[in-house]
Amino acid sequence: MKRRKLDIGAVPGNVARGADERLQVATPLRSLLNKVFPDHWSFLLGEIALFSFVVLLLTGVFLTLFFDPSMKEVVYDGSYTALRGTEMSAAYASTLDISFDVRGGLIMRQMHHWAALMFMASIVIHMFRVFFTGAFRKPRETNWVIGVTLFFMGFFAGFTGYSIPDDGLSGTGLRIASAIMLSMPVIGSWLSSSIFGGEFPGMLIIPRFFIAHVLIIPAVLLGLIAAHLGLVFSQKHTQWPGPGRTNENVVGERMFPRYAMKQGGFFMAVFGVIAFMAGAFQINPIWLFGPYRASEVSSASQPDWYVMFMDGLVRLMPAWAIEIPIGDGYVIPPMFWPAGVLLGVLAVLPMTYPAIEARLTGDKKIHNLLERPRDNPPRTALGMMAISFFIIATISGGNDVVADKFHISLNAMTWVGRIGLLVVPPIAYWVTYRICLGLQQHDREVLAHGVETGIIRRLPDGRFIEVHQPLAAPDEHGHTHLEYTGWVVPKKMNRVGALAPAIKGFFFPIEKPSEAPVSPGHPPVDPAAKREEVGSSH
Amino acid sequence: MTSHSPASRGAGRGGGLRARWRRGRNSPPSKLRRRAGAAVRLVAALMLAGGVYTFLAPSVQAQEDVALSTAAQQGKEIFDNSCITCHGRNAQGIEGRGPSLIGVGSASVEFQVESGRMPMVRQEAQAERKAPMFNAEDTQKLAAYIQELGGGPQIPSGPLTHDMDADPEALSRGGELFRLNCTSCHGFGGGGGALSSGKFAPSLTDVSERDIYAAMLSGPQNMPVFGDNQLTPDQKRDIITYITGQLQDGGDPGGFNLGRFGPITEGLAIFLVGITALVFTCLWIAGKS
Amino acid sequence: MSTKTPSTEAVDINDPKLSRFEIIREGARRDDIEIVHYEPQFAPGSKAEKRMVRIVAGFFLITGVASLAFLGIFIFWPWEYEFGAYTASKFYTPLLGVTLGIALLGIGFGILTWAKKLLPHEISVQDRHVGTNADEQKLTGETALYMLDELGLKRRPLLKGAIGLGLAPVAVVAAAPLIGGLIKDPHGDERQSMFKTGFNADYNDGKLVRLVREDGSPVRPEDVSAGGQITVFPGISHGATNEWADSPTLLIHLRANDAAKAAEAADADEINKGAYYGPYVAFSKICSHAGCPASLYEQQTNRLLCPCHQSQFLIIDNARPIFGPAHRRLAMLPIEVDAEGFFVAKADYKEAVGPDFWERP
Repeated sequence: MKRRKLDIGAVPGNVARGADERLQVATPLRSLLNKVFPDHWSFLLGEIALFSFVVLLLTGVFLTLFFDPSMKEVVYDGSYTALRGTEMSAAYASTLDISFDVRGGLIMRQMHHWAALMFMASIVIHMFRVFFTGAFRKPRETNWVIGVTLFFMGFFAGFTGYSIPDDGLSGTGLRIASAIMLSMPVIGSWLSSSIFGGEFPGMLIIPRFFIAHVLIIPAVLLGLIAAHLGLVFSQKHTQWPGPGRTNENVVGERMFPRYAMKQGGFFMAVFGVIAFMAGAFQINPIWLFGPYRASEVSSASQPDWYVMFMDGLVRLMPAWAIEIPIGDGYVIPPMFWPAGVLLGVLAVLPMTYPAIEARLTGDKKIHNLLERPRDNPPRTALGMMAISFFIIATISGGNDVVADKFHISLNAMTWVGRIGLLVVPPIAYWVTYRICLGLQQHDREVLAHGVETGIIRRLPDGRFIEVHQPLAAPDEHGHTHLEYTGWVVPKKMNRVGALAPAIKGFFFPIEKPSEAPVSPGHPPVDPAAKREEVGSSH
Repeated sequence: MTSHSPASRGAGRGGGLRARWRRGRNSPPSKLRRRAGAAVRLVAALMLAGGVYTFLAPSVQAQEDVALSTAAQQGKEIFDNSCITCHGRNAQGIEGRGPSLIGVGSASVEFQVESGRMPMVRQEAQAERKAPMFNAEDTQKLAAYIQELGGGPQIPSGPLTHDMDADPEALSRGGELFRLNCTSCHGFGGGGGALSSGKFAPSLTDVSERDIYAAMLSGPQNMPVFGDNQLTPDQKRDIITYITGQLQDGGDPGGFNLGRFGPITEGLAIFLVGITALVFTCLWIAGKS
Repeated sequence: MSTKTPSTEAVDINDPKLSRFEIIREGARRDDIEIVHYEPQFAPGSKAEKRMVRIVAGFFLITGVASLAFLGIFIFWPWEYEFGAYTASKFYTPLLGVTLGIALLGIGFGILTWAKKLLPHEISVQDRHVGTNADEQKLTGETALYMLDELGLKRRPLLKGAIGLGLAPVAVVAAAPLIGGLIKDPHGDERQSMFKTGFNADYNDGKLVRLVREDGSPVRPEDVSAGGQITVFPGISHGATNEWADSPTLLIHLRANDAAKAAEAADADEINKGAYYGPYVAFSKICSHAGCPASLYEQQTNRLLCPCHQSQFLIIDNARPIFGPAHRRLAMLPIEVDAEGFFVAKADYKEAVGPDFWERP
């Protein structure tokens, strides 16, 4: 047989050709590689959530290898001395084993928990970005709804995860969950007994929550995340207005190589921050909480931060129950309003907000350009109203800790929360609205009169005025007529090229400021070594 | 041994009175002044009455003097200097100012005085822990006085914790009891917690063994009493072993414990550390330079 | 827009004179992308570029060192939990986290610096293709409608009815076993557990149930000091476990004057009449709001605080809620002392214990 000499250099080409002959991927692959993404820091916030989710999957799989989701009573006999000989459920015992008897188990547990907090925190931050820039407008309403759903799926993923170790804190949380179910009118007791498999706590809730936590909810999350990203891909990312940017184009970088590489680096950074926090800060020390007993509780019992707003609303709710004197009597407990009605409203209202806004403004156009928060004061003010509501509710979820550590009366904290919840959001609305108008006004002023130069001139009549540098040729009144485009207006002289460019570098200068004498008449020396129109130097 | 607080308080009050008096002289007699005058007369009358009573009933005191040991006798002197204002003669208590100390026992005195809660600076929702005013010796004398006066629970002599080597199970027994009886107010991590209307359960992170024992025994302020029939001295030692061995000195295997306040500080950390760090990273990634 | 620039019209990608970048540009053009700016940030071989290369390499080296440290710690550091404050094992997890964090941040910032500094700056403009194609809509719409019409449901009403009546139940069939299996009647079991607790004599062969500690030992009046409280459980098998999650009870020994007030208030109440035993009262520990153990007993103010939602109950007034979201009082357990001197429940709670629900009377 004649052996052909293998040409190493030709292998990739041949493999690629072979793949394309079979799969016909060349065209779609190229359009993927070439996809253009706009670049702005706020567009990276959603990625934090995506990358945290990957960390959650990785660490979560590890944890399932050791976790035993069973409520069977066992006697602990592991390394942790302070619980040895204590009766507890197998779920709690195996969580202790992960923490103390599996090499590196505690770091995995802590990474999983920190990643969960990070996942939810970045979802919320990302949501704020999308809201305040109007990125949810047509054609992206569906993706907004998916995003809100992702938050609530994350909420349930977090709550089930918080519950399954079966420690003292998670049992308290489950008890409250059961009370929330019980508070539903008519179906309450049926709902609770169906989910718990009988009276609280029963023997089924941990295995059921486990399967929800590791299979059902992650599957839904995966599907929703895939749909979320797919829509971002097919609809193409929104972009800020600015020179050369229109509603019909995307200005940015092609996905490969630079953009994708940045994403890869950012993933590692997110992963790194989570790992670092997991080592630096202890989270959820279940060994101190002990096994769940219906008779034991701790002061300062709180849920994780993303559930805290609901707990806060429950705490602030006055004791208003509706008693219905028919037959033996029926009751709608106070719990129902914050944990049932209000939670429903807080889920539905954000989802329908794009439709509400479109209806109110009569706006049916397609928007691929973002709006700066200041350019839509009603929306921005509404958003701040919602955020202030959320923050007050969240702080109230830990109001006992605040009361204790800052020496405030607990009852006073509750009243502050009750009043604050009603009073602060309208104030936030009004203040935000005024700030937005003020910022807009300043932009318009610069467009009309020019940039403040810092040069004070004394007029012959003795008045002092500041000299403004107009951004275009002014008319006879000294006004320039530039269109307000909703994008950054230069407000310092160096932004219009009249002075040396701002010093480069994030924290520290990476180059010496230009030494050439600069004046408004002489544009600065360009520090770049050489400029090519479009280079192909590689 | 003289106490600073009553003296300084007296000086402050005197200054206030003098100031008010001076104001009064410059202005025509006011309603306020008339009322102040009435108060002064009332106080004078009360003092006179008290003096007469003391003069007329010296025998009660004399009898007790005989029964007291030397230490208790010295304790009584301290008491008469620093505590009598609120707790009254012979620790009988004064309605509206301070409770009777008959029957509270030396455990209570040790706890309150050693932790600086007594003497109180002013009446408030709850006495705060502060630097103690009396040294250990004087505290013992005071305790002896109250003990001999009315009896009551005492901290036993001997060690207040179990030896972990001889009895390693004590730790988990103590943990079990701690979670059933103590965590509801002091928290799983022993960091303390809020009670109603400005009252609170103090943190246990730097409390001494004796203080914990005395507190359980005497139920200071709003803390329920855990008498020896409810929690035997042995069980109390279990709990103290857990608090000092595990909560105070047990360390945190997972890194900095964020104050053991629970999810609220964890939520704060994820925003202040995690999200902040990553938003700065975002700014840098997308930055032009 | 970019595709309409004249120079793009005819590019033969097999033309040997084309540079690779021109081929890439042509590829991008076919995806409606115009690369308008592409420029290396540093002149190749310049000092600044070399410096950046060194920084990137430095990051990767940091990763290498941190990874080795991580592995070394993972394998050799004493990791098994030991009792005590500053044992070496307490630093196992922090060290792992910090070294792993540094390693990953090293890779991350290495790659980021590489991409950000060493790859050329680029500005590309891609067409979005906004707007819809009316022809496409019509073609797809007609196809879909035609398929529906072909089924002929309009012409064949019998089929319509048959689908409604015959096939709709199938949907329920799919749901029935999934959901139906979960449904459980809260009042179905013989224990009637929503209205009964372990203190019911039915669970103790008709005998009165003792109040016991967590270890099962019964409680005598002198066991609880004045101003003290104790958590008690029903003295039946497994009475102190979560099987009887509604039964934990707080037995309180009130001080004399408080006891008088409490007795007066209880006697004035139809349900709680005579439920106390001297200065001893027993209330359910399960909060009437959300079911947490409301057990923060303040012995001077006689308030009971629930740590979950801060409901406050006044013990000496039938545990009436005085603050917070709870709207009903805690149930009172009628108690007495049996022949041997131990506390027993005279009867079960007369009001349902635990959080409120619809049909709770």
